[in-house]
Amino acid sequence: MSATHDFQYRVGARVGGFRPGAHAGLTLGAGDDFVAHASLFARPDPRRIDLRASLRDPLGEWLVRLARQRSHIPVCALIDLSASMGFGTPSRKLDLAADFVAALGRAATAAGDPLSLSAFDDAERPELRLAPSRQPALVAQYAEQLRTAECRSAGHGGLIDALAPLAGRQAQVFLVSDFHRHDAELDTALDLLGRARVTPIVIWSPSETEPPAGDGLLRLRDLENGRLRELWLRPELRRRWRAAVAERRRALDLRFQARGIRAFYMSDPFVGDALTRHFLEGA
Amino acid sequence: MIAGVDFLRPEWLALMPLATLPLWARGTEASGYPDVGWLPEDRLGRLVGLALRVLSALAIAAVVLALAAPGRPQSLALRTGRGAEVLLLIDRSRSMDERMLPSDWRELSAYDIRHQTQSRGPVKSQAARTLLGEFVARRPDDRFAVSFFSASALHVVPFTQHDEVVQAGITAGGVHRGLSETDVGRALISSVARFENRAYTGSRIILLVSDGGARLDEDTRLAIRAGFERQRVALYWIYLKGFGRPDLEQAGEAGEAIPEVALHRFFETLPTPYRAYQAESPEDLAAAVEDVGRQQNHPLDFEERIPRQDYSRGIIAAALLLVAILLAAGRWQLRGLR
Repeated sequence: MSATHDFQYRVGARVGGFRPGAHAGLTLGAGDDFVAHASLFARPDPRRIDLRASLRDPLGEWLVRLARQRSHIPVCALIDLSASMGFGTPSRKLDLAADFVAALGRAATAAGDPLSLSAFDDAERPELRLAPSRQPALVAQYAEQLRTAECRSAGHGGLIDALAPLAGRQAQVFLVSDFHRHDAELDTALDLLGRARVTPIVIWSPSETEPPAGDGLLRLRDLENGRLRELWLRPELRRRWRAAVAERRRALDLRFQARGIRAFYMSDPFVGDALTRHFLEGA
Repeated sequence: MIAGVDFLRPEWLALMPLATLPLWARGTEASGYPDVGWLPEDRLGRLVGLALRVLSALAIAAVVLALAAPGRPQSLALRTGRGAEVLLLIDRSRSMDERMLPSDWRELSAYDIRHQTQSRGPVKSQAARTLLGEFVARRPDDRFAVSFFSASALHVVPFTQHDEVVQAGITAGGVHRGLSETDVGRALISSVARFENRAYTGSRIILLVSDGGARLDEDTRLAIRAGFERQRVALYWIYLKGFGRPDLEQAGEAGEAIPEVALHRFFETLPTPYRAYQAESPEDLAAAVEDVGRQQNHPLDFEERIPRQDYSRGIIAAALLLVAILLAAGRWQLRGLR
């Protein structure tokens, strides 16, 4: 099962920071990413003397190669626990999110990045908060907690609180949600995450994007505000349903595109390879 | 009459607010959906959903209403009829089970008549009941009561204008065979008494159908005479004359010894109108009944008690129909997503 969930992420831009890691960094240090030559006097590291360049140097100085090191980046996932995430059969959207979190734990361990996790609904959920850590077991445990978590409250006000530790910092942020009714919060959150690299993970259950088979009266109650929608399903309405989903997806895409973000759409089941491909394409 | 609706158990109406439940509890049957704002608006679906909710509200309301048992209260209606109050007093003695003369008896020889009356003619009581039934059916405005008598009177139907009851009463006379006694005196006294304490709203008639007479003692005669005088009742006697039975008009002193003739003569002395019809064959009987029908035709006022009419049955039926519609509609209801 986990084989299909496993993925690898890539950070598109060079990351700062001196701690070594898996991602191309900005800091000069031990690495094979050549930047320039410097005089041995300026960089007294005889191990890096470049003989060829030194011989060619008109001033006859001893030159040392300078390279950028590979650095780590803090990784964070913010998980939406609002009522709508409890939707979906047989697996809830939150279960899909748990699949993703477990796979993310393995990916972060593989990349050597510290991973922090937090969940929010109307407020931040403190019991579902994992401080930055490199311990895969903690993440696996967290994923299990998510599977049993209740999605009870409507609203996404906790998003801002949950990402407060990340605000203005460089990080790889996964925003795991179905993005229903994120309006003001989402814009504020993306503003705060200006320096971070955000990957929205949009989880839509097939049962919400695809109308059920069979014609007849379908009564639907909004999980968050309790409003009722009654539909007489028929081919024409099915077409409009799919069109509405496509329209919604387009609007969401536009919104992210304005900030140079590409969202990843996840359905049931979660396919790790697709996410890996998403990172390869989007880098 | 429309305004007059009463409830047998009005306390059940307190449950009426339950009928608004389907309008309030909207989400109970619906399956959850993350964001209905996503979905397209569907006017048809909304109409159908609203109709179903209204139907369920109506069904609950109908059940509550039926529990409260609404109905039109009992009332009295003043009715005007034409014609008379007729009491059919029918002989139920065993001799009534004999046969009458066949229609063509005048052509038969004296010898044949004796034997053929035993086999061919219609049974007296049967013929009388058939004709009286037709008589009642032809006179819808009259009020009829039915009594049978043999040893004493059996009052079968009180005065009523409901023909089917009267017809059923007349038919009831045909059950089983007659009894042996015939006491005309007692039957007449108790029949006249049935007019007692009733408003005099039209002419009153006792239609006595009998095939035999009786000698009445002096006390009975007095009682009958007083009763007829007080109640102002006319008497019509249809005498079913069997073969070989005496003729009522038989003259002379000798007649006094024959019960039928004696009874006839006593009736003639009554202070109220009296007519006798002798019927030997079914045709005579029919003519006699015809004649009585012609005699009496006066307007008649009376009050009728209309019993309480309960509407709950119809309302329960309506509720059942609504529930059936809802159940049928459930066939088209999709159960959730996937």
